[in-house]
Amino acid sequence: IVVALFDKNVQNNEEHNLAVESTIGNSSYQHSKINQWMSGIVESSLSQLTKLGKPFKYIVTCIILQKNGAGLHTASSCFWDNSTDGSCTVRWENKTIYCIVSVFGLAI
Amino acid sequence: MSDLAKEKAARLLKKRGSLSSLGSHEVRAKEAFAKTKDSISTVSYMEEPGHHDDIPRPAVQMENTYQLRPARRFPVLTVKDILKDVLTSYLQEEKYEPELCRQMTKTISEVVKARVKDLMIPRYKIIVIISIGQIRDQNMRMGSRCLWDETNDNFSSHTFKNSSLFATATVYGVYFE
Repeated sequence: IVVALFDKNVQNNEEHNLAVESTIGNSSYQHSKINQWMSGIVESSLSQLTKLGKPFKYIVTCIILQKNGAGLHTASSCFWDNSTDGSCTVRWENKTIYCIVSVFGLAI
Repeated sequence: MSDLAKEKAARLLKKRGSLSSLGSHEVRAKEAFAKTKDSISTVSYMEEPGHHDDIPRPAVQMENTYQLRPARRFPVLTVKDILKDVLTSYLQEEKYEPELCRQMTKTISEVVKARVKDLMIPRYKIIVIISIGQIRDQNMRMGSRCLWDETNDNFSSHTFKNSSLFATATVYGVYFE
């Protein structure tokens, strides 16, 4: 299960990058499109994770933020089994948008 | 071009989302820069020092409990009250300041986790996520989607706002079969 978690982490990184890039790509911030992007990112991440076929429950969180000079702090604290569960975060930005995607994987 | 990358890296480090846990775990950020035309993405994950041991810890074998359902469900409303309580008590009078809020997110997440654990709901794993941000006429959207068992697992969240900052707290409770 430890090995499975490591694979998951490594794969998470690449796949998340891909999922986010493919959905947002080069667009600048558009209020009307935000909903679409968010659902797109989260759903494609989740579907790629399920394709891995590992015995995990997943929680995918996405924050999309307009670049405006404002600050943001995020923290998470988890009560789980350290040897089998883990999390992974991808931060993505372009000229007008910040996007933070986190995945938590909990073993069944 | 590399100077620009270094500047962005410095800014990203200031905005790093942090993971805090009860044990003394190292948070090592493996930064992998993928430069496409206008965007930079970085990836980080939490590494446990234990995983580097030569002898891997064997996975814990759990016996069958023959339980089909959890004894007690995740109490959504109680947890929401806890979140409301903690957020208002910690943030009522605060103004947004980078250093203060960095500490505050970590403290609040630990406090919320401790209080939810005090509820003593057996066999539930808890994930607490806190975000504190400055209000500056910007737009922001947070979304989350979960792949879990609808009947047993649940989540609860609350948002707090004052004149200079906003805070979001989300607690996910996942049943461990």
